[in-house]
This record gives sequence, structure tokens and C-alpha cells, in this order.
Amino acid sequence: MTPSDGYALIALCLLPLSVSLVLFAVPSGRRRIVVSITGLASLLMLALSVYVFTRYSFAGQQFQGVLAWTWMQHVGFLGEKGIQFKVGVDGISASLVLLTGVVVVPATWVTWKVRDRMKDFFILLYLVTAGVYGSFVLLDLFFWFLFYELALMPMYLLIAVWGSTRKEYGAMKLMMMLLAGSIFIFTVIFALFTHVGAGTFDMVTLLEAKKELWFQRAFFPVLVIGCGTLGAIFPFHSWSPDGHAAAPTSVSMLHAGVLMKVGAFGVVRIGFQMMPEGGAYWAPALIVLGATAGLYGAISALRQTDMKLLMGFSSVSHMGYVFLGLGTFNAIGWSGAILQMTAHGWMTALFFLLIGGMYDQSHNRDIPNFSGMAKQMPVWSIFFIFASLASLGLPGLSGFVAELHIFIGTFRAYPIVGGIAVLTAAITTTYLIRMLAQAFFGEMNPRWSHLQEITWLERAGAAVLALAILGLGLWPAPWIARIAPSIINIPGITL
Amino acid sequence: MDQAWILPAIPVAIFIVVALFGRLLPRQGDFLVILGGLTVVGLVFSMVPGFQGAFHEGHFAPDGANAFSFDWVNIGQGFFIIPFSTYVDAITMVMLPVVSIVALMVMIYSVGYMHGEARYHWYFAVLSFFIAAMLTLVLSGNLIQLYLAWEGVGLASFLLIGFYWERQSAAEAAKKAFITTRVGDVGLMIGIILLWRATGSFDIQDIIAVAKSGQIDHTYLTVSMLFLFAGAVGKSAQFPLHVWLPDAMEGPTPVSALIHAATMVVAGVYLVARFSPVYAEVLIARDVVFYTGLITAVMAGTMGLVASDIKRVLAYSTVSQLGFMFVALGTGAVGAAMFHLFTHAFFKALLFLGSGSVIHATHAQEVESLGGLRRKMPWTTTTFVIGSLALAGVPVFAGFWSKDEILAATLEDAPLWTYVTLAGTAILTAIYSTRLVLLTFFGAPRDHHAYDHAHESPWIMLGPLVILATLATVAGFFALDQVGQSLGFVGGIGQLVFLEHAHPFTEPEWLLAGIATLGALAGIGIGIAYWHGDARRAVAARQWAPDLHALLVNRYYMDNLYQAVIDRVILGLGGVIAWFDKRIVNETGVDGGAQTVGYLGYRLKFLQTGRIPNYALGMAVGLITIAAIAFGKQG
Amino acid sequence: MIPIQSFLVLSALLFAIGFYGVLARRSAILILISVELMLAAVAINFIAFATYRDPKAFSGLVFALFVIAVAAAEVGLALGIVLRLFRERRTANVDEANSLKW
Repeated sequence: MTPSDGYALIALCLLPLSVSLVLFAVPSGRRRIVVSITGLASLLMLALSVYVFTRYSFAGQQFQGVLAWTWMQHVGFLGEKGIQFKVGVDGISASLVLLTGVVVVPATWVTWKVRDRMKDFFILLYLVTAGVYGSFVLLDLFFWFLFYELALMPMYLLIAVWGSTRKEYGAMKLMMMLLAGSIFIFTVIFALFTHVGAGTFDMVTLLEAKKELWFQRAFFPVLVIGCGTLGAIFPFHSWSPDGHAAAPTSVSMLHAGVLMKVGAFGVVRIGFQMMPEGGAYWAPALIVLGATAGLYGAISALRQTDMKLLMGFSSVSHMGYVFLGLGTFNAIGWSGAILQMTAHGWMTALFFLLIGGMYDQSHNRDIPNFSGMAKQMPVWSIFFIFASLASLGLPGLSGFVAELHIFIGTFRAYPIVGGIAVLTAAITTTYLIRMLAQAFFGEMNPRWSHLQEITWLERAGAAVLALAILGLGLWPAPWIARIAPSIINIPGITL
Repeated sequence: MDQAWILPAIPVAIFIVVALFGRLLPRQGDFLVILGGLTVVGLVFSMVPGFQGAFHEGHFAPDGANAFSFDWVNIGQGFFIIPFSTYVDAITMVMLPVVSIVALMVMIYSVGYMHGEARYHWYFAVLSFFIAAMLTLVLSGNLIQLYLAWEGVGLASFLLIGFYWERQSAAEAAKKAFITTRVGDVGLMIGIILLWRATGSFDIQDIIAVAKSGQIDHTYLTVSMLFLFAGAVGKSAQFPLHVWLPDAMEGPTPVSALIHAATMVVAGVYLVARFSPVYAEVLIARDVVFYTGLITAVMAGTMGLVASDIKRVLAYSTVSQLGFMFVALGTGAVGAAMFHLFTHAFFKALLFLGSGSVIHATHAQEVESLGGLRRKMPWTTTTFVIGSLALAGVPVFAGFWSKDEILAATLEDAPLWTYVTLAGTAILTAIYSTRLVLLTFFGAPRDHHAYDHAHESPWIMLGPLVILATLATVAGFFALDQVGQSLGFVGGIGQLVFLEHAHPFTEPEWLLAGIATLGALAGIGIGIAYWHGDARRAVAARQWAPDLHALLVNRYYMDNLYQAVIDRVILGLGGVIAWFDKRIVNETGVDGGAQTVGYLGYRLKFLQTGRIPNYALGMAVGLITIAAIAFGKQG
Repeated sequence: MIPIQSFLVLSALLFAIGFYGVLARRSAILILISVELMLAAVAINFIAFATYRDPKAFSGLVFALFVIAVAAAEVGLALGIVLRLFRERRTANVDEANSLKW
């Protein structure tokens, strides 16, 4: 990746932002224009994401495509580098950029179904997208935090206006918890800034600067609480099931698929990469939290009847695996954790897309109310079964690759916890297969004979995600090749 | 040999084509699947000459057996590698013909049996997928790839058991099969990782080499091998995870023949056989294998005695015979186990396909409502009887040879009482297979509606029956070294099955063979004497010992036990955790936090009285305080 | 020359009386008058210090003038408020004007 590829990264931040601005100018009634703008923009984002991912060369430096413009310097407490608009990716964020690109396209497609104020929906949705991309590609903590908040804020409106069931409650809870988390992140950012004392928010400088041991140990847990809240780490997960249940389809997709990964990514980037010794010190705590979340989410999911709530708890469980993998603090577990972010992102986006496609017609998500849906909606059911199989870690699909690495990494560090993690996978199987057997097989419930098959756009979106899941599951080498060198660069990590 | 990856690649390609475009193809693409099956059989037999002659040197040596390999995952330039590789050796060469031939027979048979079904192309597509996964399983040179294929066959089994998913029972059975085997797979996964942890490799031959060199702690190795065996228990339906196989009979009958009798369920046997050099190092683990097999053989045999569904009887019989194989593995007689696997695949597939022929003709599965079918279905009857004789272990037929080997191995290497138990189970086998034949084909027809409806099946179904019947008759002769040598294997088949400590099959041990024969004939005699085609006897058996009968019919209440554990314990725990999450974490923690803030705000707002003197007083006090602090600092 | 202490004591007394009036009185008019007393005390302070430090400089005197001007403006505004209050409530008692809360 050459520095000029940094323009692709900038485009990734600014494209969704400018689409939001352009959409302001479009009259609300002209749905066709909104559809064509967003359709084009989403495909462009996918193309750029694929470009960034493929161009990232694992033989080169850790951060590639680095471009920087100084925004403020030599003012007050700012030094030479000051605040820069600086982009660049390492292997980890490159893989997450691809994750985002693949989720955005189907999320855009399903949003075209929104009847009520679609333009406004898109303005907010693309603000979120811009925030997410910014969090992945920006290399300056000041702008990083700006884009991070940009990704959170529109969520409230998206859920409270276009949501379903207890939408005001879900939106408020989600917003309050995530903003509370932001306070912790904010604290850590400024603590880092003053502790390093270089007068800059440049991540690379902060990464390379020497930080005292006490500082790292003191502030690492603060950051984990902050970013972990967005990553739905136990016990700060409570927004996730309610928030997901309340959110409209594409918001759930983007939120569970991508935004939660921003939280985990924050733990990686600001936590482990900038405070590696603190990370090493607190890694066992992450193991405990991750394993607990995995088991806890899976067992809770056993008793859920609302499909989206079930997926919410499933997400808690799967994100628990991510933190478990990070807690192993060895390269195998870490590869698994990063892969799991991608794997879970696509899989859960597919789930929410499908649940949304059905809920739009039935206005019901209660699993016991359904049976034999495979007869009424075969394509939908096939995709749903596919997603479930990916979720329960069937080999050949993305979840397996990630979980395998996490299991092996955990076994390497703590065999007993590894055993618990593998057992969790069996519980995951149980709740998913129970849902399949109840809702999809058996005699069809005539109450749903009016339901239509999901639309062609939804099928296309599901197919995009399914292909991505298959691709990662069958041939993970391109991901591993990009992720592993960046992981090994972290000081103190065991191979 | 290094091109062995082509074997699974062919059915995978066909699976993709038929699954996606099957509806558009002529005949929904079934001919493609059969063509693929034929090609695989052809290729397998083209591999056989590579094995001829090489065995007398104590190692099989087709060149480049492991040449095909690539890194699936590579972290840190070779620090952590998951390779994909094929490995073809003697054990593989037993599995490959079994898988490919039975698969081809089942495919051809299915053309007749599944004719006119909805989702016809889907059935064939999944069949093709299953064969690909099964071939990958037996060809894989490393454990991750094996696990991948292991789950792949599990998925195919899930999809095919649930093929008639409109039936609630089929959906339940598919669910049960998937979850139960998955429990075993947890063990397998843990076993694989534990072995990797000790050896740093996923390659099966590397692991065996390290384990044999004694570098691994003995207890650790024992635990690892037990976990590995847990996977085999789940997949091969051994006690205590055997409960899914009888229910799996909800799938189409050809599927039961292929997946739940001949191939997938023997994957566990294959796995343990593959690791037999390691099991020979850890005798405790091997004893666990032995006793698990013994318990399963006895339990399933007794349950088969009372089952009334023709397919369920065969399913119990399969579980029981798999138990025999594990018994053989537990004594270290890998050759005997693989040999029984080989013969059992043919005669059990034959029996299932025969029962499928009956079901196809009568649409009835309860043996008590059948009877007298031999007049209407002569071919089916003949082939079914051959299969039963093989199952019962009557000399000449295939089952005799292999079961005899297992009994001999038990007598040699295990306590005497286990031999007696196992021999008793063999007699039991003869009894229930006789019962099945008599009640189905002989005597007077009991359900005239079914009987009048019955007709001989079309030739496309009878053809595979005849071929399998032939194999069920002659497959046992491979055991004789003379036959093996005449086919070009210098060391005889004994060495083809297992290289080290090969048990020579030069001549049967006449005494044991005599006992076994007598046992089989006695069992058949008892069966004929008792039932001789009279359904009232079946009812009488129920009245003779109602408690025992209820125990057996209810499968030792294990299903009920598991159901209770799932309902009460696991779902109960789920309820507790869900309650905890809802009440404690969410309503107390999160909502409670929000409410506390709200309450504090409500309380504190009363400080705002709205009365000017209060505010003025506050200002004054504040001013004085500040002044006092300022002066205090100066002073 | 009269010592500065006398002015300061006078000013402090005036301020204290005014302060007491602000805190203790109920009538808005009386509170206003008390505030005027406090302002007057401050003005006396300014003038005293100004003369004491440099009789030729006018800055302290100017401040005193400012204070008087601000006091006048303040009284104008405050009386307007009191007038409105009286029109609304028929009372100038500040205890009864307590709706600015919660």
C-alpha cells in the first residue's frame, strides 16, 4: 500500500459524510434520487473497502496508506504535531474496513423499504457509517473520538423514530450506556495525551512513546470499561438486546455488525497497542469477562423467545469470544478475536436482515408463534439456516475459523477456560437448532399463510453476506496474512 | 495417490451445480450425481493397484501419499500452521471402497425410491455433499480437516434426517441428532486441541509419532484420547450418546442405509482405528473404548428385540454392531474392527434398502402389521434374508467372518465374562434378525390393506439390492489370505486392514467359529420356534414380562432422562440466568442506576425554594466563606 | 484629617445594616432600600480609599459615581419588577413570590 492509497481511506471517511450532506438538498419526495445516490455510494464504499483490503500488503510496515494534514499545532498545549487529520490502516483495521464495506451495501438495500422519511433515515445512517469508517482508519485520537461519537449520536434518533416495540426505552438505554462509556474513553485519551507529553494526539507517536507501567495498569481497565460497553462486554451488555430489539433492520445490521466491533477495536488500538503492559496485566480479567459473557449470553439466549432478543444475547455471547481471544494475549487467540469480529459482523447482519424482512410483514418475532416457515418462505429459511449454521460454528463458514483460533489460543493460555469456551459452542448449537426446529420445520402455522417471500433486494443482500461468510470460512488465509503481522508487532504478546 | 483430493472435489462440484440449478436440469440432475458416484468408484479402484504387493515389507508405500498439502492458516511465518493434506493408507483403503460402493448403490436405489418426491434435486444434492464430506473425512491427513469433514457429514445427516421436515417428528429427530452429536464434537474439539498443545501439530501421523515416542505425559495423553473418543461416541451413536440414531430413522430410508448404517456412523470407528497406535499406549482409554462398546452392544441388542418399527430394529442393530466394532478396537484388534466395518456396511445397507423396498411397497413400517410379503416381493425377500443371515453371523455370509474375528479377539485379550456377554449378544442378534424376517415376510398377512397394496419394487431398486446381497455374501472371503494373495496383495487383506500387529487370517480358529456358528443357528432356531410368523406371539412377548418389555421399549428411559435434564436442568438454568439478566443486571443495575439518578434529582430539586431571602442567605454565606478562606490563606 | 478608620467603620456599619435588611426584611421595597444602603457603603469606601491614597487622582471618585449610576439604574429596574409583582399578587412581600422553583 503506497501513501497515495491513503486517499482511498480519506474517501471512505468523507464519502458517507458528503452523501449525508447532499441528501439534505434532495427533496424528500424524490425517493428515486435518494435510492440512486445511496445505491451508488454504498457500492463505491464496498469497492473502496475491497481495494483497501487487497492493497494492504502484509510484507510492508504496520501502518500503511498514511496521510496527514496538520489541523492545529503550537497552540496552547499542542506541540509540533498537534492535532492532525491523519489516516492509515494496519492489518487489523484493514480487515474491519472490509467488514464494514460488506455490511453497508445490504444495509442500504434494505433501507430502501423504509416508507416513512427515507431520506432522513439515510442522512443519519450514513453519518453512522462515516463515524464507523473514521474510527477504523483515523490515526489521530482527537478525530478518532470525534468520529466515534459521530457513529453513536444518530443511533438515538434512528431507533427512537424508526424503531419498533419499546423503541424509546431501547434508544434511551443504548444512548445513555454508550455515552457513559464515552466518558471513560475521553478520560483515557486525555490521560494518554498528558502522560506522553508530546503535545500531540497522533496515534503513532502515542503508540511508540514510552509510558510508565503504573499508568498503563491504571488506565487500561478504564478504557476497557469505556470501549467494552460498546463491545457489549459483560456486565455492560444490557443495552445490546433491548437496543437491537428496538432498532430498525438496517440499524441493527450496522450496529451489531459493525459498531460493536468499533468498541472491541478501541480495546485493541487504544488499549493493547498503546498500553501493552497494562493489557498484559489485565488480560486474565478479560479472560474471565469474556468467558463469562460467552456462557452467560448463550444460556440467556436459551430462554429467549423474541428472535431479535435471542440474537442480542447471541451477540453478547459471540462478543464474549472476542474478548476471550484478546485476553489470551497470544497471537493465535488474537487472530481468532479479530476474525471473530468480522465473522460475527457478517453473520449477525445476515440474521437481522432476515428477521427484518419477515417482521416487516408479520409484525411478530415470537419464535413459538411460528412453525413450518420453510414451506411458506423457503429462500428466507435457507438463508436463515445458513446464518444459524455460521453462528454455531460449522466448519467451512466464517464462525468456525474464528472460534477455532480462539479455542486454541485459550487452550494455550488457560486449558480449563478453553474447555468452557468449547462447551459454550455446544450451547450455542442448542439454542439455534431449537429455534430452527421450532420456527422453520414442522407443520406450517396457517396464520402466516399470507406472508410473502423476502424481496429480491433482500435476497441479494443476504447473498452478499452469505458469500462473504463462505469466503472467510473456506479460505481465511488472506485475513490471517494481514492480521497476524500487526498482532505480532504488539510488545509482549506471545506467539 | 497425491491426487486423492480429486475424489471429494468431484461430488462437491456436483453438489453446487445440482443444489443451485437442479430444478432446471433434466431429471433434476440426479444423473449427474450418479455419474459422480460412478467416477468416484472408478477412481477408488484405480487406486487399488498402488497397494498391491507393497505390504509384505511391513509398510505400505505408494509414493507421495502425503504429497498434496497446503497451508490453510499460517500465523507468524510457520509458527502456527493448519495444513490441509490428504493421507492414504491401509485404513483409508478399507474405507474408500465401502463409502464409494455403498454410496453408488444408494444413489441408484434412490432414483426409484425417491421418485416423484418434492425437493428431489435437493435430496440428490445433499447426498453428493455428504459423499464429498465423507471422502474428505477418510482422506484427511490432519485433524482440523478431519473435524471440518466430521461436521460436514453431520450437517448432511441433519439435512437428510430433516428431509421431511413438515413432519414434526422429523424436525425433532434432526434437532436431536445434531445437538447430540455436537455434544460429542465438543469432546473431539477439545481432544484435538489438547493433542496440538502437546505436539504442536495437527498432522495425524506426526501426533502418532510423538505420542508413541513417549514425550507426552501419560495422564495428559489418556485425557486427550478420552476426549477424542467422546467425538467417536457421539458420531457412532455409542452409549450414552446413542439416543439420536434410532430417531434418525425419520429420514428417507436410502439415507438411513448410507449415512446411518454404512458410512457416517462408522466415522467414530475410523477415528479410533486411525489413532489405535496411540490407544495402544494408553490402556485406560482403550479400556473405556472396550467397555463403552460392550455396554452399547448389549443395550442396543436388547432394545432391538422389542422394537416394532422395521427401521428401528435395524437402527438398534446398527448401534449394537458398532458396539462390536468398538469392542474390537478396545482389545486392540483393529483389523477385526475394520473388517467388521467393511462387511457390516454391505449387509446393513442391504437390509436398510430392503426395508425401504418394503416401505415403498406397503407404506407401512410396523412389523406387526406386515407379514407374508414373500409371495409378493420375492427378490426383496431373498436379498433381505441374505442380509439377515449375514447379520446373524451364519457361516459363509460376510458377517460371520468379521464377528468371529471380534469374538476371537475378545477371548484372547479380555476377561472371559466379556466374551460370554458378547457371544450372548451375538445370539441376541440372530434372534432379533430372525424375528424381523419372520414377521415381515413370512406367515399370514396381518394388514390386508398393506398387503394388497404391496408389489415388487422396480428394477432400479432391486439392482442395488442384488449387488449388495452378492457383496454381503462374498465380502467375508477377503479375510482369507489365500483370497487376498490371489488378488495381488502379498501380505493378504489382514495387512491391508492394519499394518502393525496384523492378525493373520490364514485359517479360522475352528473351535471358536464352531461356537459362533452354533450360537447363530441357535438364535435363529429360537426365533423361528418362538415367532414362526405369528403376530400374536409378538403380543404375547409383551404380556410375558411387561416390566422388562416396558423398560426395553422405553429404551432404558434414557431418552426420558435426557429430556428431563434438558427441560429441568439446562432450560432451568437458562431461566435463572435470563431472570438474573432481566431483574438484576438490567432492572436493578442499569434501570436502577437511571432511577437512582432520577430520584436524587427529585430529592435535590427541593433545595430550590424560590424564596429570595434563602438565595440571598446562600450568597452571603458563600461570600463570607470565600472571604474567610482568602484571609486565612493570607494570614 | 479624619483617620481612614472612621470612614471604614462607617462604611462597614452601613454595609452590615444593609445586609441585615436584605436578609431579614420581607417587603421588596425595604430590601431595595437595604441594597441601596450597601451600595452607599461601597461608595463611601471608594471615596475614602481614593482620597487617602492619592488625593489628586480621580479614579476612586469616578468609581463612586459609577456606583451611584448603577444604583439608580438598578432601582429603576427593581422598582419596575416590584410594581409588576404588586400588580400581579397585590403584595410586595417577597416570601409570597416563590414560584421560581422546581
